[in-house]
Amino acid sequence: MAWRRYFFPALVGGLLFSSPLRAQGTTGTIAGRVVDSASAQGIANVNIVIMGGQRGTLSREDGSFTMANVPTGSYTVRASRIGFRPQTQAAVVTAGATVSVQFTMTRQAAVLSEIVVTGYGTQRREAISGSVATVDADQANVGVVTNANQMLEARVAGVQLTQNNGDPGAGAQIRIRGGTSISASNDPLYVIDGVPLQNEATAPREGGAPYNNQLQRSPLNAINPNDIESITVLKDAAATAIYGSRGANGVVLITTKRGVRNGSGDMEYDAYVGAASAAKRLDLASGVQYRDFVQQQVNQYIADSLANKTVRGGLPVSSLTSLGTANTNWQDAILRTGIATNHNLAFSGGSPQTQYRASLNYFEQQGVVIGSGLKRYQGRLNANHDAFTGKLRLGLNLTASRVNNTYAPVENGGGFTGGLFTNVAIYNPTLPIKTGTGSFYEISGQTDVRNPVAMIHEITDRAPEDRVLGNATGTLSLSSNLTAQTTLGVDINNSVRQTYYPRSSPTASGAGGIARQADLSLNNQNFQQLLTYAPHLGKSELEVVGGYEYTHFDNRGFNAQSQGFITDQFGFNNLGSGTAATSPLPGSYEDESQLVSFFSRANYGWANKYFLTGVMRYDGSSRLAPGHRWESFPALSASWRLSEESFFKGGPFSNLSLRAGWGKQGNQAIRPYQTQLLLRTDNGAAYPFGGAVVTGLRAAQVGNTNLKWETATQTNLGFDYGLWRDRLTGSLEFYQKDTRDLLFEVPVPQPAVVATRFENIGSLRNRGVELSVDGELWRRGQRTISGGLIASIERNNVVSLGDTSRKPIQTGFVNGQGQSNQYSEIIAPGHPLGSFYAPRFLGVNNAGQQTFACSAATHPGAGCTNGVTTDPTDADRQFIGSANPDFTLGLHNNLTWGKIDASWLWRGEFGGKVFNNTALVYQTKSDAKQGRNFLAAALTDPDSISEPAKFSSRWIEDRTFVRLQNVTLGYTFDIPARLMSGRTARVYLSGDNLILLTKYKGLDPEVYSTDGDGGGIAVRGLDYVTYPRPRTYTFGVHFQF
Amino acid sequence: MSKFSWKAALRFGLRALSLVPVFFVGETCTNLTEVPHDALTPTTAFHTDQEILAGVAGVYAQMRRAEDNGHYATVQELSTDVLVVPTRGSDWYDNGQWLDIHKQTWSPNSSGALGFLTGSWNDLFSGVAKANLMIDVVSKTGAANKDSVVAEVRTLRAWYTYMLQDLFGGVPLVTTTELKSVARSTRPEVFAFLEKELTEAQANLPVKWPSASYGRVTKGVANAILASMYINAGVFNKACGPAACSAINPSAYNSCSGVAVTGGKDACQAAIDAANAVINSSGTGGATYQLNSNWFKNFTIDNKSSPENIFVVVHSNSPQAIGGDFPMRTLHYNQLSTGDGGPWNGWATTAEVYNQFPASDDRQKMWLQGQGYSFETGLAVNDRNGNPLNFTISIPDLNKANESNGVRFNKFPPQASPPKGSAQPNDYTWFRLAEMYLIRAEAENELGQTAAALADLNLIHQKHQPTAIAAGTKQAIRDAIYTERLLEFAGEGKRRTDMIRFGTFLSWTENSANGICGATPAASCPRAAYRVVFPISVNALGSNPLLVQNNGY
Repeated sequence: MAWRRYFFPALVGGLLFSSPLRAQGTTGTIAGRVVDSASAQGIANVNIVIMGGQRGTLSREDGSFTMANVPTGSYTVRASRIGFRPQTQAAVVTAGATVSVQFTMTRQAAVLSEIVVTGYGTQRREAISGSVATVDADQANVGVVTNANQMLEARVAGVQLTQNNGDPGAGAQIRIRGGTSISASNDPLYVIDGVPLQNEATAPREGGAPYNNQLQRSPLNAINPNDIESITVLKDAAATAIYGSRGANGVVLITTKRGVRNGSGDMEYDAYVGAASAAKRLDLASGVQYRDFVQQQVNQYIADSLANKTVRGGLPVSSLTSLGTANTNWQDAILRTGIATNHNLAFSGGSPQTQYRASLNYFEQQGVVIGSGLKRYQGRLNANHDAFTGKLRLGLNLTASRVNNTYAPVENGGGFTGGLFTNVAIYNPTLPIKTGTGSFYEISGQTDVRNPVAMIHEITDRAPEDRVLGNATGTLSLSSNLTAQTTLGVDINNSVRQTYYPRSSPTASGAGGIARQADLSLNNQNFQQLLTYAPHLGKSELEVVGGYEYTHFDNRGFNAQSQGFITDQFGFNNLGSGTAATSPLPGSYEDESQLVSFFSRANYGWANKYFLTGVMRYDGSSRLAPGHRWESFPALSASWRLSEESFFKGGPFSNLSLRAGWGKQGNQAIRPYQTQLLLRTDNGAAYPFGGAVVTGLRAAQVGNTNLKWETATQTNLGFDYGLWRDRLTGSLEFYQKDTRDLLFEVPVPQPAVVATRFENIGSLRNRGVELSVDGELWRRGQRTISGGLIASIERNNVVSLGDTSRKPIQTGFVNGQGQSNQYSEIIAPGHPLGSFYAPRFLGVNNAGQQTFACSAATHPGAGCTNGVTTDPTDADRQFIGSANPDFTLGLHNNLTWGKIDASWLWRGEFGGKVFNNTALVYQTKSDAKQGRNFLAAALTDPDSISEPAKFSSRWIEDRTFVRLQNVTLGYTFDIPARLMSGRTARVYLSGDNLILLTKYKGLDPEVYSTDGDGGGIAVRGLDYVTYPRPRTYTFGVHFQF
Repeated sequence: MSKFSWKAALRFGLRALSLVPVFFVGETCTNLTEVPHDALTPTTAFHTDQEILAGVAGVYAQMRRAEDNGHYATVQELSTDVLVVPTRGSDWYDNGQWLDIHKQTWSPNSSGALGFLTGSWNDLFSGVAKANLMIDVVSKTGAANKDSVVAEVRTLRAWYTYMLQDLFGGVPLVTTTELKSVARSTRPEVFAFLEKELTEAQANLPVKWPSASYGRVTKGVANAILASMYINAGVFNKACGPAACSAINPSAYNSCSGVAVTGGKDACQAAIDAANAVINSSGTGGATYQLNSNWFKNFTIDNKSSPENIFVVVHSNSPQAIGGDFPMRTLHYNQLSTGDGGPWNGWATTAEVYNQFPASDDRQKMWLQGQGYSFETGLAVNDRNGNPLNFTISIPDLNKANESNGVRFNKFPPQASPPKGSAQPNDYTWFRLAEMYLIRAEAENELGQTAAALADLNLIHQKHQPTAIAAGTKQAIRDAIYTERLLEFAGEGKRRTDMIRFGTFLSWTENSANGICGATPAASCPRAAYRVVFPISVNALGSNPLLVQNNGY
């Protein structure tokens, strides 16, 4: 019985080792070579596929290729490669023989790579019916690129990427087709070589001192951008539903470079050095300006005193005593030219059976703020081996990296005391950096205002991270059209944050030095089992994938702190030498969760004209409530290649296809254990009966036993076009995405142990249009100019917050002294996320008070006269616009002029608002009443010195900007063969963030200043004491041997 | 190319079957049970006495939220003349919330309501819910001390409910752990509930705990809360909430006399009985409570040893940061250095209150006026410009105060060089024996027992001032008690309740520019009668569709 032959081996050894026998002599080999029509040289990496099937290979370095074990029969073989016109040839395979197929390809302008990684497999570009965009890594990896996120900037329509700030390796807010969630994560799923990445902060948070609330750096920093071959972004539900519960925010598939068959052994060396400096600085009052201002205010006070006024203006005479004689620019004193260096060595090679690629990377980036930076040491190995005459293919990807983060004591948000940037803004500029004896100057008796230069030199804060990303794959060809693939992946990240505040620092002088260590361990194991069936069906093509996936997450943390040291020499290396028994107790935690999935996908194509894809994924997550854990995520999409129809031939369209798709996606990115009522033994529950502390237990959250998936359904309509023999290509897409059962932390009826809990409430709608155009604009021999444009329009709207009696959600909490309980945004039905809600600023009256619009009908009390108030209340707030741009544009050009190449990238976001929280808090003369400096703009505004900083529309500015993101100029030349057996070399100069055109008065309108912990949920466009964005110049070389 | 055939399909099916083992392995990996490793759940907790004590500690710990910056105890003072937080430059502006509460301009969505009233509503109800959870789980266990633990937690639940009705009038009464929307009970219903709960609970409470359990509730605590309820029965036992508060007289004394409580007893008599139960309480070591010969020792960092304190929030300067931060809120930046930055230089009292403290009364020393000193060195300190720090009695303009304006509150003086920054070990006093005497005096006066009333009043008064208060009319003794309560309890969370009972809450004034009915009086002076209860903030209102807003808001 035939089934025994398969069942028992599978049972015993699993699929990896089951080797079905097949009669010999029914297959043959296709072999040949691809050459460039102009140079007659071989072309490497050409994609060779058998039409109507899924078999394919890549050509070798010399253009040759071989496909063995092809069942006998007549085939059409297609060769395609980016930059060349695809070509087809007929081939008849006979048993045991090798048929030769030769291609001569001509160059053309094209931007679409032909084989696209689509999740649990690959697809030919023209067969894709979902919305999928690809980024060519070589084009996007220009200038100083710390992580893969930066390669997406302005390269994909519908992807809005906002780097948090200018901190090296800074995290980013990445929104694919807008944010679709309010409380749960809006980050896309990152999949690296088929294995999902655990997209969590990789270093423990800072701690030990009360003033920091830093944004975390990007989890992608562990991956060397030079190793990336391509990035595919799956945008619509038809494309992402195969990732089910994790696909709602889009999926970013990162494919790394690998060795080539019969490569003759290739070695590449890349290096660059970059110099970065802050692109813009805050215009703070200088020492001279501050001194003059205080003197002038004292004169006012004296005049009022002489006039016997009870309430005197200005500053009391005593203010003069706090003035020093220096003129310190605190900003200059903490900024520097940050040097970045990168060395990358890669070698690859292969035989027909075995291919490998290995790379080594050293990257060092100094931040423009002294004390911040990161270093990366990374090694990577990628190997494939074919066994059993190509029936079994084994693969291994292994990345090991060490990232050494160092941090300046910067803050994100913050209130009363703040961190480095707050002190830069407020520290009296008439005071010197150092005293006459060389120690840092500190204002005597002050602990809440600190010398910022002392802060960066005194405080040590670092976090080395070790990450291992690995996966092993076995692909077994069960028959000519059935393959099974097993993948085991791990993602392990261990990091240690070490912080020391020395005894000399005002922060820790009372404590006698504070040392802290925090460990974080992220562990993620992934198992995938895939079965792919791709029969040969004549004119039609079919591929069916079925699979099972299991992911286990286990995250742990530990921290300990100590203080009261006799010396600063131990730093954080000897916590046990602390003396004070007053440090917080050590802490530890563990979070564990599982995700289990079954999925299948069927692609059907007919005559290369009609394509249909159906997806079904069934996901179960332990993070959700029993009874609601499992959910199905279906999707269906179709495309029609109009240009293949006979009635369409002859027109300008060399390619035109119409795509339509619908699907459902999920989001479960909430912390584990939200469904249960948890009792925690935290300090908030401890109680000192009789003066001795008794450990307390308190309910830390209200469990929601009905918690279920947040789901989004998305409909997509797209056109792919190629005009004039694909000289101009691109796509146009329309989508609508409806997110329901939003995971949302809402107030619950009292009494409740905790006032809020996660519920599935409300819905959100995103709609948008995306356009991309790429083309060869001009060509004369070896001289070409090409260019591309992407444009996106995205609109989101909160449709409902569930119960109609539910109050809009306040968010975007305002930072700074005197701004407690002040919010800047609300989430309300009928309005987009990121909607500013503020009193409308009218002007400043003669008394130097700010005035705001009000309505006597709703304004409480009697403070509203003729629609004007000086004392705005919540009832006076209005919608002031949202942080979302009306549309975004990205424009890139490439120029080749013989051996010279150049490229540039412009991007712009138009419309939308940004809240200048920095100006609200620091552009006020009232800061001088506390001996604090302020922004120079306050000197000329009419506000009185007694006017407090009041949040209003005054500080909500236009966000529109255009940025020259990058310009690169390169020169390629051949290395003479007698020298180091070199082949080619390229040198280049690159500049990042060279021009920023905007009316925004803050540092940069593209900003993300607050996170979910302190700032509220779904906050957008809030700018508070941001780490300045650098302008970077890079010089680099690339050698190929 | 081969054609599609059923035979091929069958072959595929058979091959697919070979995958069954793999999927079978998969099924064992579909167990999605979630087990927290670093927290307990109600089913995994409370198996031992220690776990139960930890749960009880959690219910007590919630009281720290009730006396936190801007919550119950401070709103009680901030809405009166005792406490003012002027805007000092941009510092302490905070969206106007401090002055919103102080100047009684609050509305359901004003900044003070959104911040402080929402916080008070949630924090006090969280105490109720935590108590409900403990009562539920403990009454299901076989713990030997089950009855006393339940009585203890019921008393705490009653105290949280007392504070809620004090702020908001009638509130939802829930005694189960289920999370659901419940409509508000009337204020007399809440009153009756509290009476029943406290009376039943005190039977199972000890007279006194051993010193290691100091701070846990006793019979004295239950009786002290009852005494406070009864003396306020003219307010607390009157319909007020969604129904108009017309039974409460906003501009005259609201007597307990004539208000019938359980058993038909007159509330004033009930107040005397409850106060007596505390005053006359005794155990093996003699009287349970005694007035402290040194009044200041009721509040100092070692006030755990004061025999006068009946009910306190126990604080500690331990690393867990479970101390009080009163000194931080009020002292000048340079008066104390801590590991967490200096004090915050915010709170002050009005000139009107400070001037009511005669120099002859030692209690005046609870205020810091004139030159400020360091709590570490004892030396005079300077302001931030380097000139002598001098706290002024008057605050010329509440909107434009400078850093030295206003007399500071130092009833709970800080530990010098505190080991844990802002966390001070002074226990915060909810009830002291002195108040039982003053409640008894007030109730006796209402019942016409003026001589007894005067004796109780002078017992307190003459501890601080040499001359006794002379006999007078009922009204004169009332007034004297009102003043004595200010001198005695300023800063202990009593002022708003007292002012409402005495009918002064809506008419007090402040002679500062931008002060309430002060130098530049607003048209709405005195304030509208409905302000004797706070509004339910829109945040709280939105979480429960059955809640009806207080009348007038």
